[in-house]
Amino acid sequence: MVAVLTERLTKVYNNNTAAVDNISFSVEDGEIFGFLGPNGAGKSTTIMILTTLLKPTSGKAFVSGYDVDKQPSKVRANIGYVSQDIAIDEYLTGKENLILQGKLNHIPKNLLNHNIEEALQLVELKERANDIVGTYSGGMRKRLDIASGLINKPKVLFLDEPTLGLDIHTRHRIWDYINKINNEYGMTIFLTTHYMEEADKLCNRIGIIDHGKIKVLGNTSELKQKVGSGVIILKLMHYYEKENFDKFIVKIKDLHDVDDVRHTDMYLIVSTKEGRTLIPRIFDLSDTYNITISSISLKEPSLDDVFLAYTGKGLRDETGTAWTGMQTVERFRRARA
Amino acid sequence: MIIQISDIYWVFWRELKRYSRSRIGLVVRIVQPAAWLILIGSTFAGTQSLLTTTGYPGSYIEYITPGIIMLTSIFSSIFGGATTLWDRRFGYMNKLLTTPVSRISIAIGKMFGISIISAIQASMIIVIALLMGVRLGNPIGLLPAMLVIIAFSMGLAGVSLIAAVLAKSQESFWATMNFLGMPLFMLSSALFPLELMPSWLSIVVKLNPLTYTIELVRTLIIGNSIPNIHLFIDISVLASFVITMILVAAYMFKREVSKAF
Ligand SMILES: Nc1ncnc2c1ncn2[C@@H]1O[C@H](COP(=O)(O)OP(=O)(O)OP(=O)(O)O)[C@@H](O)[C@H]1O
Ligand SMILES: [Mg+2]
Repeated sequence: MVAVLTERLTKVYNNNTAAVDNISFSVEDGEIFGFLGPNGAGKSTTIMILTTLLKPTSGKAFVSGYDVDKQPSKVRANIGYVSQDIAIDEYLTGKENLILQGKLNHIPKNLLNHNIEEALQLVELKERANDIVGTYSGGMRKRLDIASGLINKPKVLFLDEPTLGLDIHTRHRIWDYINKINNEYGMTIFLTTHYMEEADKLCNRIGIIDHGKIKVLGNTSELKQKVGSGVIILKLMHYYEKENFDKFIVKIKDLHDVDDVRHTDMYLIVSTKEGRTLIPRIFDLSDTYNITISSISLKEPSLDDVFLAYTGKGLRDETGTAWTGMQTVERFRRARA
Repeated sequence: MIIQISDIYWVFWRELKRYSRSRIGLVVRIVQPAAWLILIGSTFAGTQSLLTTTGYPGSYIEYITPGIIMLTSIFSSIFGGATTLWDRRFGYMNKLLTTPVSRISIAIGKMFGISIISAIQASMIIVIALLMGVRLGNPIGLLPAMLVIIAFSMGLAGVSLIAAVLAKSQESFWATMNFLGMPLFMLSSALFPLELMPSWLSIVVKLNPLTYTIELVRTLIIGNSIPNIHLFIDISVLASFVITMILVAAYMFKREVSKAF
């Protein structure tokens, strides 16, 4: 079954910007699908159409087989939504928030308590469950927000930038939760992110979106293999024979899978997608030519390269870490006001 | 669109929980009407002889008590839409809107919450009035009077909800509601009976649904009302006001929340 399907989906806001521009893609049941793109790319807009919050200007979208425009209540009965902004009630306790969410989702009484306990356990908020949310930290609020999206065990869970502004530790924990709910409940997860690492760690498939258009869709590892550039950087001890060194370089260039070799007297930079298998062969050659390697480092192909290849720019160019941090502080401040 | 009582209840439940946890809101909403009761009640006590000429048998403070009760509920309900605006601002509304609860149920739950909170505030001012020595000629009338207060507050909650979903900012919402609230109160029979007003003013006052509501409350709790407007008219005007506002508010809510905020 297809969990999410869009056909030439377009959203034009009043100011005439096409925030989502003619996109078509599908997400299979049980997948973790990631929508990757810089700020303003159209990620949230897409999610808001899929969760029935916004009407598409043109095109079609289906979630769990239901038309988001024509059968919105059917769609709502099958989804969970955790928005980019932290949307929980600060005047209620953590548990009250979950009870409310459960009641509004028509969870039968006999299941509700069980689901709440399970969700609290998952996001590790059991001890604080009876405290007013106003006393929670930003990360705890986000975790509670994610828990409330799970309370109805939706078929498809939409997570809009689930780890925005969280520290590394919390971020890793949230990745664990996401993997866990995907494994244990077989829940389909549609998430957006502008963190490469997040898409890389979590998603089976990704779509890169920029200026409202999908630049590429595909399996994460395949995409990396296709365009990624890995490099091996070698630092050499300088007491080698010049003649041997030249032969060494030529031999490396001849190795299978080596794309390019650049060097100075002391450094050697080998471009390749198959770093792991190449390293032992390079060591062998260095033995043969009596060259001592003092250090070696490997950079494998990453989504950054994929992103660069398809959008013509690095994600960092637009969303430098400092700026992202500031924006996050702003959001938390807003959410607490 | 299905309206489910349990959905309405849970939206309502949240409004009341929030209210009960916000002590400051509770105090702020009661201070102003209490000040009115004390200040106006004693300042205009000198107009007693004028009041008596209209045939009203009680004291001036007794005359204005129903008006001040309604003022309390106005203060509370007219700004009640603010929570809807905050919910939209902080994304909570989107969370509500992606649950299976219908938009109409959300709107009704919100309005009902506002109106019950207003009624709670109004009963506090009744207690204050009693402590100040105001006699209620007909204490049994308090119960139906509460229903009248709840109904009227529901209508005003509708007005407030409409303003909230149309407003683009907190500022414009508060400004609009301030602009509406005071005239609504002043241009009614809250402070002076119709008989004492210039005729142009009494026409305006007769167009104000609050006038009829106050007359109803006065009849019910003080017991000795000026029977210049018939009970039946009072109830019909109040009912049409409330039903119209609920319907328009529910429609506007549904229409506006489907737009980008
Ligand atoms: N309510 C709105 N009215 C008008 N334009 C909007 C509105 N919301 C978003 N946009 C525009 O639509 C485009 C896409 O915005 P969207 O929020 O979908 O991006 P995003 O990918 O989620 O970005 P971010 O990473 O910053 O959350 C942007 O150009 C934005 O300015
Ligand atoms: Mg976004």
